[in-house]
Amino acid sequence: MKTKTNKRFIVAFFFLIVLLNTANCQLPTAGNIFSPQNRLQFGNFLYKDRDYLRAAEEFKEYLKNESNDTIVFRLANSYFKIGLFTEAVDNFKGLFFGSQLSEEARLLFYETIFFRNDYKSLRELADEKNYSSSKFAKEIERLKYMSYFFDNSALPDENLVLKNFPDTVQSRLVNFYQQKKFPQHKSPTTAAILSTFIPGAGKIYTGEVGDGITSLIATALTTYLAVTNFNADHQFRGWLFSGLAAFFYAGNIYGSAASAQIYNARIQFNFNKEVKLFFEQRNYFLPKIDY
Amino acid sequence: MTRLNIGKILSICIYLFLFSFPYNLNAQTDWVRWEGKETFYQLPATHNHDYTVDKSSFGMILLSVLRNTYYFFISDLDGDNCPFEPSCSAFFLQSVKETSIIKGTLMFADRFTRDLNFFKGMNHYALLASKKFSDPAYNYTLHSAKIKF
Repeated sequence: MKTKTNKRFIVAFFFLIVLLNTANCQLPTAGNIFSPQNRLQFGNFLYKDRDYLRAAEEFKEYLKNESNDTIVFRLANSYFKIGLFTEAVDNFKGLFFGSQLSEEARLLFYETIFFRNDYKSLRELADEKNYSSSKFAKEIERLKYMSYFFDNSALPDENLVLKNFPDTVQSRLVNFYQQKKFPQHKSPTTAAILSTFIPGAGKIYTGEVGDGITSLIATALTTYLAVTNFNADHQFRGWLFSGLAAFFYAGNIYGSAASAQIYNARIQFNFNKEVKLFFEQRNYFLPKIDY
Repeated sequence: MTRLNIGKILSICIYLFLFSFPYNLNAQTDWVRWEGKETFYQLPATHNHDYTVDKSSFGMILLSVLRNTYYFFISDLDGDNCPFEPSCSAFFLQSVKETSIIKGTLMFADRFTRDLNFFKGMNHYALLASKKFSDPAYNYTLHSAKIKF
């Protein structure tokens, strides 16, 4: 009797568990998960989660069926964030006319060109004013003048550059401007000539004092050994040390010119790094736009 | 009753034995754990020399053979002592390949002088993970566009 009751209880319990699981399971026929609305929702979630690559895919699918300027803007911005600048530019351009986001799209269009390092095109477009923005005219002008610090084109007048930036950063920008216009470069020719007259002097001129002194000692020592050996009538050793002296002497002249070039490259590298960091820390003086 | 208990205990023991058998087979014995190890004081080689012969031209073949001779008879026996990466011999070959025999020799002469400098490490060269100074040949070709940091 007792065993029978137990068996009934086990069967009832089993059915209860199955029933609960069935009630909670997700039915695949609940709706089309790839519907435009679902894609939009998922795309928005990914966009907020900064997963721009996958968000762009969802927005692209959504826009095949629906039309929505905000989503076009988000799609363009997603492309911008993942470095697909050409696609970003094309999508921002689509919002230039007849859209409420026209002004923002124009600013981000210029930003995209700036961040793809196409500074020449940026300046040309900013000067042509075909896509100019009334709301963000100052920001675009600022981007244009900022671009001069990032490439090798000739700098415009100092006042033109500086007037677009806030007073708090004027002194830093003057400093950058002066460094860019009058870089503290060393001449490779001067370095080579100096080393021709005094071995190692060219290296010292480029700031490589240790290398300069070493060159002087190596050249002087081998020359001294060559002379003393010739004087002592040791022809082979004399010629051997003469060869070594010539080797160090010529190498030092060449090395001084190379050293000046490396010095200049280092100055340029440090300047670029400093400028980039300065503007990056201030978000390139750009407003934060997000829709 | 007692017979039944003995049977149960026996079956549990057999089960435990079978269960732990593979573990016992692979168990680490004290003999292995406390075994004395022979100490080997020689420093491991940080890199092996590349003996590949560059067959791009007759001159490069000749220089590669000379470099390999130097590796075999001197450098491998002397140890890995050059503080630079690439080493001076490799730098010479790279220089010649990148420029010409005359310019490459001048670049090597300069590198050799810099190697003689006792204070070369101070804020001068980037330090690589191998604790060697980065000093690639392309920085010394007198083409400023080729210089990289």
